[in-house]
Amino acid sequence: MGNVMSFLDTLFGKRERSSDIARDRLLTVLVHDRVKLTPDMMEQLKADLSAVIARYVPSVDAGAIEVTLLRGESVDHLKADIPLRRTTQKF
Amino acid sequence: MSRVITITSGKGGVGKTTSTANLGAALAMQGLKVAVVDADIGLRNLDVVMGLENRIVYDLVDVVEGRCRLRQALIKDKHLPDLCLLPAAQTRDKDAVTADDMIALANQLRAEFDYVLIDSPAGIEAGFRNAIAGADEVLIVTTPEVAAVRDADRIIGLVEAFEKGHPRLIINRLKPRMVSRGEMMSIDDVLQILAIDLIGVVPEDEQIVTSTNRGEVAVLDRSSRAGRAFSEIARRLAGEDVPITVFDENPGILNRIFGAFGIRARGSER
Repeated sequence: MGNVMSFLDTLFGKRERSSDIARDRLLTVLVHDRVKLTPDMMEQLKADLSAVIARYVPSVDAGAIEVTLLRGESVDHLKADIPLRRTTQKF
Repeated sequence: MSRVITITSGKGGVGKTTSTANLGAALAMQGLKVAVVDADIGLRNLDVVMGLENRIVYDLVDVVEGRCRLRQALIKDKHLPDLCLLPAAQTRDKDAVTADDMIALANQLRAEFDYVLIDSPAGIEAGFRNAIAGADEVLIVTTPEVAAVRDADRIIGLVEAFEKGHPRLIINRLKPRMVSRGEMMSIDDVLQILAIDLIGVVPEDEQIVTSTNRGEVAVLDRSSRAGRAFSEIARRLAGEDVPITVFDENPGILNRIFGAFGIRARGSER
């Protein structure tokens, strides 16, 4: 019964396949294991990044910065998404 | 040329001891002289998996400390005259031997056997390091689970740091039907994450439980799917080019022939 339910859930897109979840979690955990960046250091990195960027782009939204470690084919990537607030232009 | 091969995993309970016993027996069935060594000092297991627990007089630590000669500690298998077990000590701990002791022991065994298979303890501590110290090559056992693959990744790094070449991977306890439902990581998922050569895939098989209950290895039972998978791995170890097959839950049906899709067990030429 559980199998049928999980099959239907997957079929109707209600639930991601658990094998995909496992793979994604592993990729994240492995890249963190290898790069040795703790969650604390990631937070510090975000704070430092927003301070540096604010010197050039004052509209940086410090609270919304997302820094992620991604595993690539031959190199891993540290990816930062830095949203900027839209300010109304004054002429 | 004798070969010393350590079977390790990082995580416990993924099938190191079962793999060692079955690969040892399968190689001995090919007419090769094989010694299997239990390097898990203090947590002796390989003897019970092989059903030889009542025959132990001396153990690995007795040999290392000179209380007996190597020949006296080796136990002949019940069925296969070319297979011998060197049991671990049960009453000592991992500090009873050093990496140098294990290298010397491996070299002594090389003189008598074609293959020496060393069953490593779980973990990344001294016991693991001792177990790989004397090895020419390393096989890593994992199951298609997050924790086991994570630990395998760590072990691969350590094996390479200790200059033991590129280890090869055994994926154990795969459930093909769960994989096809998307409820278990596939062979490709695991290989993409670990980026090492695959030497074989062993399906989940209840007969492993019953054969272990009896102290018999699965490769002796022709109806065991896991046993057949281990026999194939042993042939690949010995250098034969055998396409990797995944034995499905219906006996006798080869679920998928991975060789046809270009996934083949390779030697250590990477």
